[in-house]
Amino acid sequence: MSQFSDADRALIQFALEAEQAAHGLYSAAAASAVGKGEAGPAVALMRDHHRAYAQALNGLYGEGASTQRSAAVIEAFADRVADPSASLDALRELENVLAATHTALVGRLESTDAAALVASIVTTEARHAAVLAELAGAGLDAALDAGTEPLAP
Amino acid sequence: MTPRRAQGRPDAGTPLPHLSRRELLRLGALTLGTGGLLAACGTQAGVEESPNVPSLGVAPETTALPAAEVTDAVLLRTAASLEWTAIDTYDAAIALGVLTGPYAGAATLARRFRDDHRGHADAVNALVEGLGAEPFECANARLMEIYVGPALALITADQTADPAAEVALLAHALEQLATQTYQGVVTMLEDPALRAAALGIGGDESRHAALLARAISPAIETIGTTIDPATGKPRIAAVPGAFGSLATVQVTLGRDAQGAGTTLALDTPSLNSLAYDFVACA
Repeated sequence: MSQFSDADRALIQFALEAEQAAHGLYSAAAASAVGKGEAGPAVALMRDHHRAYAQALNGLYGEGASTQRSAAVIEAFADRVADPSASLDALRELENVLAATHTALVGRLESTDAAALVASIVTTEARHAAVLAELAGAGLDAALDAGTEPLAP
Repeated sequence: MTPRRAQGRPDAGTPLPHLSRRELLRLGALTLGTGGLLAACGTQAGVEESPNVPSLGVAPETTALPAAEVTDAVLLRTAASLEWTAIDTYDAAIALGVLTGPYAGAATLARRFRDDHRGHADAVNALVEGLGAEPFECANARLMEIYVGPALALITADQTADPAAEVALLAHALEQLATQTYQGVVTMLEDPALRAAALGIGGDESRHAALLARAISPAIETIGTTIDPATGKPRIAAVPGAFGSLATVQVTLGRDAQGAGTTLALDTPSLNSLAYDFVACA
């Protein structure tokens, strides 16, 4: 028997699919010119982090966890991530969307264990976004811009 | 009964009878029991009333501690106190006048982050007022005393080789602490909506910490965790791990020309530093 309510399980599944999509997008970026350039080590580091998030959320969900990538996330970012001139900005926006989405989930999760895990992901994704802004030369306002709308589960 | 007990009390001048160990124990127990009974039965002449449990002798008065319940309002008031701690620390750091020349960029960051903390303090206090509690609009006295005061003393000490660099280190440590406070409070707040509101601010603090880390360690390979081969210690990292840590924040300040300094350990506010309902700004 799961320790989570059905509502919590649905929210965790949603976060899991978003992270699996993020891992896919980062994998594409790492294999592109951006990944082979100066920002390559940072892109690879963040890709690995998103894999870790997906694994942690998968473990939290348990048996029956989704292996799907969020179609909405892929659709929103795939083209721009593949474009070397827009890739870092797209990844920053992706991080902002994920951080905002997970923050909103924390406001709905009943399980404090789940909320603690998701919160620990949010604070690092915010760091990712700030670093990507700095690497892209996007300026201080862009690095600190946390006004992105969350995705709706 | 033994024949000795049947003899009754000895007369004055009569040698005390020999008492066995068992009789001594019985006598001691009887004395204590009688004393306890008398103490419980009423006021002794010349002895002040005591709220304590019945006892022999005079017990000092005790002062009841105020009720210290850790509520959502208390946790958020504490977060506001931490914001004001950051504001006061940035003001103090800017006033040192060391963020000039190559550190002018750090001064820009310090002013921007201080202003962000003012916005955070207002936002958190709006949540506090929404809970019907008093907003908290000053720095956390305990954190100022045990963290910020000693840190500024080390930065301004004569032997400190690079005070400007250490201002950045202190700011980074405080932003880390703020991030961890908001992340940690997520599991303590009862209202899920407040958890999200707090975490949203924690994300901002996390961005501050990352940007300060980039200013301190600008090499691309130091975005993640690396070890400085010269010192054998971890470098400041913009993204020190996959998951936000709640571990103690350590910062070494007052470093002399050889790099030797004092390491301060900063922990998120705990029971002895919360802004309880009865705590007011001085």
